[in-house]
Amino acid sequence: MMNKRIHAKYFSRFLNLLPHRLSCHDSTRATIAFFSVSGIDVLDSLDLISEQSKQNIIEWIYGLQVIPKEGNVKCGGFQGCTALNLLDPPENCSTDNYKWGHLAMTYTCIAILVILGDDLSRLDRKAIVDGVKSVQKPDGSFSASIEGNEFDMRFVYCACCICYMINDWGDVDKELMGRYILSSIRYDGGVSQHVENESHGGTTFCALAALQLSDQMHLLTSKQLEKVKRWLLFRQDGGFQGRPNKPIDTCYSFWIGSALKIIDAFELSNFKENREYILSCQDIVVGGFSKWSGTTSDPFHTYFGLCGLSFLREPGLLDVMPSLNISMRAYERLKSIHKVWDLNSQMEVQLNIE
Amino acid sequence: MSDSSDEEFNEGYVMYRHRREWSDVHPIKQNDGKNPIVAIAYSERFLDVYDYFRAILATQEKSERALELTNDALKLNAANYTVWQYRREIIKALKKDLYEELNYIADVIEDNPKNYQVWHHRRVIVEWLNDPSEELLLTEKILDLDAKNYHAWQHRQWAIETFSLYDNELAYIDKLLSADVRNNSAWNQRFFILKHMGLTLETVQREIHYAINRIRLVKNNESSWNYLKGLLESGDFQISQFPDVEAFTEDLYNSGNRAPYLLAFLVDMYIEKTLHIYETNSYDDPEIFARKVYEICDMLANHYDTIRYKYWKYISQKFRTEKERAKVGPNNDDTPANEEATNSEEQKLNGEAN
Ligand SMILES: [Zn+2]
Repeated sequence: MMNKRIHAKYFSRFLNLLPHRLSCHDSTRATIAFFSVSGIDVLDSLDLISEQSKQNIIEWIYGLQVIPKEGNVKCGGFQGCTALNLLDPPENCSTDNYKWGHLAMTYTCIAILVILGDDLSRLDRKAIVDGVKSVQKPDGSFSASIEGNEFDMRFVYCACCICYMINDWGDVDKELMGRYILSSIRYDGGVSQHVENESHGGTTFCALAALQLSDQMHLLTSKQLEKVKRWLLFRQDGGFQGRPNKPIDTCYSFWIGSALKIIDAFELSNFKENREYILSCQDIVVGGFSKWSGTTSDPFHTYFGLCGLSFLREPGLLDVMPSLNISMRAYERLKSIHKVWDLNSQMEVQLNIE
Repeated sequence: MSDSSDEEFNEGYVMYRHRREWSDVHPIKQNDGKNPIVAIAYSERFLDVYDYFRAILATQEKSERALELTNDALKLNAANYTVWQYRREIIKALKKDLYEELNYIADVIEDNPKNYQVWHHRRVIVEWLNDPSEELLLTEKILDLDAKNYHAWQHRQWAIETFSLYDNELAYIDKLLSADVRNNSAWNQRFFILKHMGLTLETVQREIHYAINRIRLVKNNESSWNYLKGLLESGDFQISQFPDVEAFTEDLYNSGNRAPYLLAFLVDMYIEKTLHIYETNSYDDPEIFARKVYEICDMLANHYDTIRYKYWKYISQKFRTEKERAKVGPNNDDTPANEEATNSEEQKLNGEAN
């Protein structure tokens, strides 16, 4: 059996203070916050975070939002940390030109806001969707930011999550993106991180989730669908591995499990062995899950281990929405925010007519 | 999660705030908000280095000392893409010797072989130099440590494709596969190379023999089977064009081998043969092959691949349906079969949300 409380407490510690040896994760503090907040949510333990703390988290996250100046480069979105936020800078000193939204951070920051019940009213949605468009590459893929970062399937996925969550695809070229995804399907049926690289569990998830979120599942032929189904199911060897002939690892219970859910084939996997593996990676003393049994747990594998268990309908866990990677409860909240936005824009149209 | 390497600094290290040559710079502190979350208990050194980094970034100082400062900043956090970005701007402004930078980044990569930013930096410098002469050697060095390092393979593929370095790659791959025939990355690279050389009937035939010979050595290896299958499906070929493959797999089976990948291959082959008989209205008896499909699916489900019990039952059932449909008449059902899948997935999404 799983001790929910110990894992929720494990996440809470990461929300508070990290030891200095984790400084090399400084640039991605927002994603650590996401794993912790969403993890506590999946554990149905949000009451563990006080109202004041929730408000603090929301404020800190909004502090990462980049609002580009009129006429400047379209770099809207969220940063991953506050490294470029200056305290009492001398006159004429500014790092604003280097504050760029980063797709993975924008996605996780918006998700955190939704999970904690924020109404997203402070999002600069126009700047965000313009920011997503501005990092789309001629091959249809996306880069993480306007400069200085790679472009590949991971950011295709993040772009889709963002557009889906703000309910606006702006000028994003979905068709071109679809072509990029199709060109990254490999001979063995899996999907690579970029075009002809090796098929990978994480990026196969990214590709399928992106197709679903952008409403383009129909691009896959039934043959491709059957092939990726087999490729995914063949990853199971107790738990799941990310590539053929690689060791199994807790996080793939999410990546592969979720990809299987998206194509409606999760029921074909072996629940019992999957569950046994994930639970064997649980640290029952300090909390958390690790990638391999007997190693140190971390927030990343703890979060994905829990999502993996949620797919297996582990009692006490909330259902997880596979493609957006948030709880179904958070997803419902998002949908109700969309309804409000729809109503508002309808009213605006009416007012204009009158 | 990896740790920061604070201890990499040598003993005589002096804080920037104590260095006389930096006394003209006014360090700028980070503004982490009133109530920071996932706060990091930065070391004194980390704070010192990044306070000065913020200062030079904000004042746009591009100097030798600023370049050295980025060394220290990256030692503390190699994932900070703003530091990398600014480092490149300094290098450009000072017109630094890019070959020196190439050596520097090679060292950093060796210390952080799984960091995205370091590989991205490498790629940009190689692009600026327009000289890929070191790339194969560097990636080989990294692959010597971990022959499946995704970053190294991605970089290698990029270099090969961008600068047409295809010539000796097959020999290198062969070396890797001789060392470890289960190296799926190497098999993928082989497919990538051959695709670019052109997958003609002749090449495919040659490669089929390559794969078969590798399978003879290690029979239960998903990578080599996937490669074989990928070749057969790479063009408009029919399996009947390759009688050797049929003979090889059936001989293997008749000799008593029951490797799941062999059995899976036979299932696909017999399904194809059965349906082909119906499609071409030939006088052969489809039931001969159909029986084999059911028989081998049962074997897989009950003995040789029990973890995928449900999957093989599904394949068997799906085949039964397809066969019935083929029996009725010519298959003019050209609509993408996944249309149903997409709809049901959407319904599920909405259903779960409501
Ligand atoms: Zn993992």
